[in-house]
Amino acid sequence: MGKVKIKNLKKSFGDLEVLKDINLEVHEREVICIIGPSGSGKSTLLRCINALEVSSSGTIEVDGNDITNAADNELNKYRQNIGMVFQQFNLFPHMTVLENISFAPVALKLKTKKEADEMSLKLLRRVDLEEKANIYPEQLSGGQQQRVAIARALAMNPDVMLFDEPTSALDPEMVGEVLNVMKKLAKEGMTMIVVTHEMGFAREVADRVIFIDEGFIVEEGPPQEVFGNPKNQRTINFLNMVL
Amino acid sequence: MSIPELIVQNWSRLLGGLAMTVELTIISLIIAAVLGLTFGLLSVSKKKTLRAIALVYVDIVRGTPLLVQAFFIYFGIPAALGLRLDPNMAGIITLSMNAGGYLAEIFRGGIESVNKGQMEAARSLGLPYSLAMTKVILPQAIRTMTPALINQCIITLKDTSILSIIGIQELTQTGRLIIANNYQAFEMWTIVAVMYFIIIMILTKISKRIERKMSYGKSKN
Repeated sequence: MGKVKIKNLKKSFGDLEVLKDINLEVHEREVICIIGPSGSGKSTLLRCINALEVSSSGTIEVDGNDITNAADNELNKYRQNIGMVFQQFNLFPHMTVLENISFAPVALKLKTKKEADEMSLKLLRRVDLEEKANIYPEQLSGGQQQRVAIARALAMNPDVMLFDEPTSALDPEMVGEVLNVMKKLAKEGMTMIVVTHEMGFAREVADRVIFIDEGFIVEEGPPQEVFGNPKNQRTINFLNMVL
Repeated sequence: MSIPELIVQNWSRLLGGLAMTVELTIISLIIAAVLGLTFGLLSVSKKKTLRAIALVYVDIVRGTPLLVQAFFIYFGIPAALGLRLDPNMAGIITLSMNAGGYLAEIFRGGIESVNKGQMEAARSLGLPYSLAMTKVILPQAIRTMTPALINQCIITLKDTSILSIIGIQELTQTGRLIIANNYQAFEMWTIVAVMYFIIIMILTKISKRIERKMSYGKSKN
């Protein structure tokens, strides 16, 4: 059964139709990389999956839960299961690294402060930032902030992780450390949907690559096919530009 | 009489007036903070009607002079309803409503100054809007708002003097009453002005200290 099922999804901003009939099924433990030119709708698609953008029509199911027609309190529950990592990290600047990670489980009364802090330290160890637990985000490099953001998302123990261009705001020398954490996560069997410009990462880690252009899925398949033998002319043009 | 002699002679009355000024300020600001936060939150709501309610309130407060607001509440409303209103009560209502309007705008500005990604990050973790607002957005908003908040406190303290006109015995009214007896306008207004000045300087100093303490992180390390 599909972990994430998207059927006939459409999304418009005013007169601008950004997503035009998207159909996509993501399976458990699958890593999907979404590529495409800027403005193609790939980030919007990702943001529809946890309803940060409200879709205009169609349905999205995550773990069998209908995201598109959920009431507010249901949606809050569903979102706990869908981790998201943003391009701009969006760490909470008024909280320490540890507090950033412990915050949601404690605020939602899923864990006591002590339980949450213990878990947060373990998560920090996983992203190799244990020694930064008690400092504030602004004192971290971009790459470190993004690793904390991944740990923060993992603190809710999600079934699916969404990554919205997680390395696009980073200096080149920090891209690797974030991608490594994501690779580790993929190996551990996390279901991941990654919007990215890192073609090397997509080629190496993705089970399936999705090429989106002008609001449609133009081409999809295993990375060796999409990168090695693209069939659609638009895919070929795009890959020629970025590779 | 010289200024020092005038101070000694009228000390207790002047202090009484100052106490009333401070009391009016504090009570009004507490009520205004509740009003400001409430209407500030309404003004950033997704619902159009709630935003409209906040807008009307803020526009009325900003669009009319404080003195007219005081007259309306002290004379206007009681006349229409056929009741009597204690001047202190009318004064507190006026100042609260007035400062509340300005504070609503300060809260709106503060909330809007917080990066949109903060709300999205909080919501993506499954937090309801209310929790995200109180634990993530407002703490950051209040930090940026601090200078404006302090400014509003000072303005409200000075605005209490306008309420002397409806007979509240705060510092300005006390000064007028004393002058009515001794005709020493220059000396007495000097004393009154200096008293306002000192209390506002103290407030400014305290607030500067708070502002410094609230800058991110550094204080905790």
